Amino acid sequence: MTLLILFIGFNPAHGQKTLIKGFAEVVTTVQDGKLSFGIGEQDLFITSEISNRLSFLGETVFKFSPSSPTKFNVSIERIILKYNYKGNHNLLVGKHHTPINYWNDTYHHGRVFFPTINRPLLFQKHIIPIHTTGLSLQGLNLGKLKFGYDIMIGNGLGSSDVLDNDKYKSITAAVHIKPKDGLRIGASYYHDVISEGAEIHGQIVTTRINQSLITGSVAYFGKKFELLAESTLAINSNDSTGSPLTVASYAYAGLKLKKKWVPYIRVDNLNYQSGEFLFEADNTTSFVGGLRYEINFLAVVKLEYQYEHREIAGNDNRVTAQFAIGF
Amino acid sequence: MKRLIFSTVYCWAAISFTCPVTQAQNAELLVIGNIETVPSEMKKNQLTSVLKGEQQRWKNGTKVVLALMDPDTPIGRNTCTRVYNMSGDELQRYFLLLVFQGKARAPNFFDSTIDLEAFVAKTPGAIGVLDQATDSSVKIVLIDGNELL
Repeated sequence: MTLLILFIGFNPAHGQKTLIKGFAEVVTTVQDGKLSFGIGEQDLFITSEISNRLSFLGETVFKFSPSSPTKFNVSIERIILKYNYKGNHNLLVGKHHTPINYWNDTYHHGRVFFPTINRPLLFQKHIIPIHTTGLSLQGLNLGKLKFGYDIMIGNGLGSSDVLDNDKYKSITAAVHIKPKDGLRIGASYYHDVISEGAEIHGQIVTTRINQSLITGSVAYFGKKFELLAESTLAINSNDSTGSPLTVASYAYAGLKLKKKWVPYIRVDNLNYQSGEFLFEADNTTSFVGGLRYEINFLAVVKLEYQYEHREIAGNDNRVTAQFAIGF
Repeated sequence: MKRLIFSTVYCWAAISFTCPVTQAQNAELLVIGNIETVPSEMKKNQLTSVLKGEQQRWKNGTKVVLALMDPDTPIGRNTCTRVYNMSGDELQRYFLLLVFQGKARAPNFFDSTIDLEAFVAKTPGAIGVLDQATDSSVKIVLIDGNELL
């Protein structure tokens, strides 16, 4: 009966259209007086139209991993089956980028699209859960304001890609509008329960934690100016230590000169309230100044200086150059 | 005298070879659609939304399929500028990013207007932009009541 239902929805006359693309990057860094050359992730990206309403998206990344016997790991970053059930409304199942903010929903692992070399600090410091495996309802470009929504339920933090580690589910609810060409204004709410004993980014959680993330974002990418600002309020609470707040924010601005040249800056700020017990609580402010040269839509060169001030771990300076491509 | 003849021939050759390209780049554009599934009339803002990949389906439920001339062709360059207000590179980046996000399908690009028209004729939901319609098995879609954009 289940197999019969599966086949009823298919149109056998539909031709399959499969697209395979890749993304890669090479990096040069000067830090602490040392020059290093390195390779970044190699990203294999595949989409395919399975039927008139059903499509597939897969993103697999090959990346350096010092703990791997071969020094490289293969990671399934996204596997999404999307069913377009009506108009601009979709049902998505699989491993997604959690639709929690603009950056995570837009850039994924294709460095050629990133406005800066690396992701903002709120990703690097694990404030934002980048991936969730689950099910979501999505709407796009609805009405005059081009309203969009994502409502997602998934395996929360501590789970694997194949099994939830507990009975609790993470919930993400995100909305946005696009009132003008190039402008997107959004907000989201994320909630998860992290069970005692769960392993989160290499550490074992010793008490059950209720985590809530409230995020606001503004993005404008126009012909001349680029602006992206996002802020997340994270509330991790348990029975004994209360609910310390973390505010993680960044703001990016770029100016397009002669179409291909884009000087830019980005300022990141991570502020942890005393008593924070889940995140690595080291108040940090970072300044990035860079120049991006867009050779074409598949090749971008970036050069950046970054200064990072951390209250506990100290300050850090580095200069980085990146050549990112798509193919 | 020889110099005069040479200059005249040179100027004629220059004009002959550049004018067709220039004319194609500045030519009027029109929208063609699959006869059975694409609306016969649309408003300009609706067309823009459709051509930017913002609409997944027509009101009749048929999937929207975009057909454009390659941005390296004169008609393609004209389409990029006049319809999308983008360069060819910007247009390709725009759609690649949407496809990468899983939010839209890439347009089908063609080097030949005949191939584009044939594709629109046989593909349910297909809509394309050209400088003229020569195939009677496609329809011209009126935009704000006009044939030409």
